Amino acid sequence: MNNDPLTLYGQSFNSRFLLGTALYESPQQMLDSVAAARADIVTLGLRRQNPARGDGERFWQHIRETGCTLLPNTAGCKSVKEAVNLALMSREIFATDWIKLEVIGDDYNLQPDPFALLEATRELIAQDFKVLPYCTDDLILCQKLVEAGCEVLMPWGAPIGTGRGLLNRYALRTLRQRFDCPLIVDAGLGAPSQAAEAMEMGYDAVLLNTAVAKAQNPPLMARAFAGAIDAGRDAYLSGLMQTRQTASPSTPTIGQPFWHQTS
Amino acid sequence: MNPTFSPLLPADSGAHIGIAGAGLLGQLLAWQLSMKGFQVSLFDAASASSPNSAAHTAAGMLAPISEAAVAGPEVYTMGLYGLKRWQTWLGQLGPQASQCFHRQGSLLVAHPQDECELQQFLADTRCLNNEPDCAINSLNQAQLQQLEPDLSQQFRSGLLLEPEGHLDNREILEYLRQVLQSNKVAYHEQTPVEVAPYTLKAINTAQQWRFDLVIDCRGAGARHSNRGLRGVRGETLHLQTTEVHFIRPVRLMHPRYQLYVVPKPDHRFVIGATQIESEDTSPISVQSSLELSSAVYTLAPAFAEARILEAGVNLRPAFSDNLPQCFSRPGLLTANGLFRHGYLLAPAFVDHLLAQISQSAPSPFASYLPTHHHYDEPVYE
Repeated sequence: MNNDPLTLYGQSFNSRFLLGTALYESPQQMLDSVAAARADIVTLGLRRQNPARGDGERFWQHIRETGCTLLPNTAGCKSVKEAVNLALMSREIFATDWIKLEVIGDDYNLQPDPFALLEATRELIAQDFKVLPYCTDDLILCQKLVEAGCEVLMPWGAPIGTGRGLLNRYALRTLRQRFDCPLIVDAGLGAPSQAAEAMEMGYDAVLLNTAVAKAQNPPLMARAFAGAIDAGRDAYLSGLMQTRQTASPSTPTIGQPFWHQTS
Repeated sequence: MNPTFSPLLPADSGAHIGIAGAGLLGQLLAWQLSMKGFQVSLFDAASASSPNSAAHTAAGMLAPISEAAVAGPEVYTMGLYGLKRWQTWLGQLGPQASQCFHRQGSLLVAHPQDECELQQFLADTRCLNNEPDCAINSLNQAQLQQLEPDLSQQFRSGLLLEPEGHLDNREILEYLRQVLQSNKVAYHEQTPVEVAPYTLKAINTAQQWRFDLVIDCRGAGARHSNRGLRGVRGETLHLQTTEVHFIRPVRLMHPRYQLYVVPKPDHRFVIGATQIESEDTSPISVQSSLELSSAVYTLAPAFAEARILEAGVNLRPAFSDNLPQCFSRPGLLTANGLFRHGYLLAPAFVDHLLAQISQSAPSPFASYLPTHHHYDEPVYE
């Protein structure tokens, strides 16, 4: 274990990069990408696989081969009932009480429904789940999720699959200032520089899928994100300098006494 | 690690070959081997009158560029070979079969708000730019209308993938069945079998058959005896309408769905296909039928009054890299994993397998289609 682990619900992880397992060309490419990402946690969706009958078992076996902690999600669920049912099924299939909770409110941009999300969160926590909620960057929603018992928040950078990066930096910074719990930017990232920026802001980890899976070379892109996430984390820990209005040469200019400066 | 390779059978030996699985691969191999003078017996779990193969459910697209965009350049090379080979093969099957081959390209369109999907497609296929015959042309609204007048006018731009085509696949399967009959291939329908070197055993009776070589091409049907193989669910709709005429496949690029419509004889269309990582073979879901029908409605609103003749569900057989593989040991050749590229890659795969069987000529695809020998053969449970 390194000396800067990510701790979620009491469990420590070396990697701050959570990777999705959908959309790859093949299971082998998914495995190669997870390895290149050096991820410790991978997410997986079951909604359309007829999970009650275990029909996705052979694909899930490939996901288990990653050796990572599995974080089932409720992608594709549009109501509290659907999400809760799928979470219950995931717990049974994968023997984990962790759930990445998604309740989708809009079909086109897959925006989370904050009202249904909060309701489903309360219900799942009452049933002893450890909920990792995929939420918007709304402060009040996040407050209520924490009050409901979430020990991690996963606000979006931008809508799922858009690759637009951190659309609302003000809101994301506010969340970082207001919450001590781990914060993970989930969804909307397209470039490693955007992941680095989230980490520089003090976010604890990054979760993404499309930006890696839909790259022309997914394992290479996974490695790029892993490097950016490490760089962003190091930058945050080392303390970014404050930006200034004026230029200041890093080498003193000889022969220019400071009282000659004009404003 | 591999032992020295030797042909599985000498050519023209009159040897008896048993093939398990009468899907596309099984039928094509039976045809080609019977033409070479081998005695061939073909076994299938389903009846010939209601086939259950993925080849029957498939839309029969020959789309080397579109498929390479999601699978890699080797699929383009083998697919282009497949396009040429199909033309030759169908010529050999007769003038009627020749009519089942269509090569007028295929169209890619996206809603105006999703036009970045076309740019993404161009980026995903950039690695093919220097490949032979890889012509991708950008089209404006007028050019789209000229090519397919019934296409909705909302599409302002699109791409024409010139080398692509499609097959009237169900008709071809029927012509293949006829030629197998006249070539005296013994066809054992409704006979599910267990596969072993030199032997096929009926699952439901005590009967068993000995051969000089057994070829296992059961597709997803072999997944219970091969741990590396999985089924990937696909769903299609078969529509019929006289109100829409398309002469080439049209693909709708959407951020989450990539669905296509392929014209078929008799005013039919196949709309396909979902791709779900599940071995579920239960009937089509409401979600999938909504996706498929709204895609087709978007392409041409006149599809609204088309009749749904059939909703197909089947499993694509796939290995972990989603590319075909073969495994060879004395008395048994296993060939599987054509995934979503059955018609496109079957010719390259069949010619590769024929080269393994008789070693008449080296396979041109040996580097793409590695043969696994006994050290890494599939694990039979």
